[in-house]
Amino acid sequence: MNEADVLNYVHSTATLLGIPVDDERARRVASHLQRTVAMAAMLDAANLPAHAELAEIYCPAPFNFNNDERNKL
Amino acid sequence: MNNIALDAPSMAASVASGQTSARALLESCISRIEATDARVNAFTDKTLSRAFAEADAVDIGRASGQALGPLAGVPYAVKNLFDIDGVVTLAGSTINRNHAAATADAFLVKQMKAAGAVLVGALNMDEYAYGFTTENTHYGPCHNPHDLSRIAGGSSGGSGAAVAAGQVPITLGSDTNGSIRVPASLCGVWGLKPTFGRLSRRGTYPFVYSIDHLGPIASSLEGLALAYDALQSPDPLDAGCHALDIQPVMPLAGTGMDGLRVGVLGGYFHDHASPAAREVVALAAKTLGAKEEVIWPDAALARSAAFIITASEGGSLHLNDLRTRADEFEPLSVDRFMAGALQPADWTIKAHRVRRMYRDKVNALFKDWDILLTAATPVSAPMIGTQWLHINGIQHPARAAMGLLTQPISFAGCPVVAAPMWPTQTDGLPIAVQVIAAPWREDLAFRAAKVLEGAGVAHIKTASLA
Repeated sequence: MNEADVLNYVHSTATLLGIPVDDERARRVASHLQRTVAMAAMLDAANLPAHAELAEIYCPAPFNFNNDERNKL
Repeated sequence: MNNIALDAPSMAASVASGQTSARALLESCISRIEATDARVNAFTDKTLSRAFAEADAVDIGRASGQALGPLAGVPYAVKNLFDIDGVVTLAGSTINRNHAAATADAFLVKQMKAAGAVLVGALNMDEYAYGFTTENTHYGPCHNPHDLSRIAGGSSGGSGAAVAAGQVPITLGSDTNGSIRVPASLCGVWGLKPTFGRLSRRGTYPFVYSIDHLGPIASSLEGLALAYDALQSPDPLDAGCHALDIQPVMPLAGTGMDGLRVGVLGGYFHDHASPAAREVVALAAKTLGAKEEVIWPDAALARSAAFIITASEGGSLHLNDLRTRADEFEPLSVDRFMAGALQPADWTIKAHRVRRMYRDKVNALFKDWDILLTAATPVSAPMIGTQWLHINGIQHPARAAMGLLTQPISFAGCPVVAAPMWPTQTDGLPIAVQVIAAPWREDLAFRAAKVLEGAGVAHIKTASLA
C-alpha cells in the first residue's frame, strides 16, 4: 500500500465516519496510518488458526433466579 | 520536618508515634510544592481544603486513641484522570473542562483515604493518556526534576515528577503501554504496574479498556508496597477487575533470592536498549545472580498488537469529539487518535486473537523462570521537544520509542516493579530496570526488587531543585 493509497483510504473512511479532515490533516493522519500498516502486516503474517479466539472482554454478569421465578418458566 | 528526607513508611510511623502530626507533614509538603512546582509543573490542581480536613481527621483520631490506617497522614497525589469528589476529571484535556465535577472519589482514592492518606491534588499527564512524554500543550510540559530541560516521561509524568521532586512520597498513575514505568524510569523513582485486572479502575477516565492498568509510584520500595497493599480490593463493579482476594506483599520478604530463577531478556529487548540501559540491566542481573539470556516470545508482534488495539479503542472512545472539536485536542496526539479511529476492524480483531495466544506463550515462559529483567526505557530522559531517537543506529520517533520495552510486557498483563537505577554514562540521569514476574506474582517482583534495593544498586535520588 503506497502513500497515495493510504491517503485515499483516510479521505474515504473519514467521510464514512463523519470526521472532517482537510488535506493537511489527512496527510498527517495518513503518515501515522502508514506506520500502522507495517504493524498490521505482522499480524497478518502471524499463524492464527481458526480456533484462535479473541482475548476475553465480555463476561455475562452473574444472574440467579430464585425458585419462584424459575418455576414460572 | 523535611519531607524530602522521608518516605511514606517513615512518615506514617512518625504520625503514629506522635513524633509529628499529619497537619505538620501536610504543611511541609505544601511548602515543597510551592517552592518547586513553578519549575516542575507536576500539579494541575490542588485539593488543599480537603487535605487539611483529612490530615486533621488523622490527628484527631490519633489523639482519641483510634487505630490509624497504614498510610495515616501520608500526603499523596493522583494523575488527573482519577475522579476526585468535587473536582473535574481533566484527563489532561481541555475538552473535559466542560464536564461536571466528579460526585465521588475513584475507587482507589477511596482505598487511599481508608488507609489514612491525605490527598493533596491532581497531576499533569499526556492528554487522554496517549503519550509517553507529558509534553502537554494545554497545561505545559512536565519537567524532569533531575534536569528541567528534559521530559519526565508519560503519560503519568506528573506522578513521576512529583515524587522525584520530593513534593509527595506517593502518587497514583495509570499504565496502558508503559505510562507508570516510563516516568518512573526517567524520573528515577519506584513504580509498580500490577497484574492486569489486579486493581479496580472504577472512577478513572479510560483510555484503552482492554489494556488499562492503575498503580502506585513511590519514593521507596517499602512505600510502594505499602501503597499497593492499601489499594488492593476485589471490585465486582469494575468489569476489568479480576482480583478475587487481597494478596498483600508487606512486610517485604527478606528471604533474598533463594530458589528464584532469574533471567535477562535478550533479542528484541537487547536490540532496543541503549548502552546505558544495558549497563543497568547488567548490574541488576549481576546483583540477582542472573546469568542466562531469555527470549521473550513474540515481543515485536505483541507491541504491534498493543499499538493497534490502543489506537483503535482510543480512537473509538473519542470519535464524537474528533468529529466536532478536533481543534481542541492535544496537537501532539489528535492525528494519532484519528488514525486509530479509521483502522480496519480486521486489524483490531486479529490483535485480540494474537493476544490470547501470546498470553499462553508468556505464561509458558514462567514455568522456567520466576523473574525476568529488562530496561524500562531504551534511553534516559530526552530533551523536551525531541522528535527522533537513534537507538543502536536505528532512527525511531522519539515519543513512541519510549514504550518500546514496556509495551510487550503490559500486553501480557505481567506485574512489573520499575526499580530506579543510575547508569554511569547519562550525566546523572536514571533508567529503571523492569523486574517482571508471572501474572498475579507481584510478591516475587517485590522480593527481587528488595534485593536490588538492599544491595544499594536501586534507589531514588530526590532532586534538590535548589
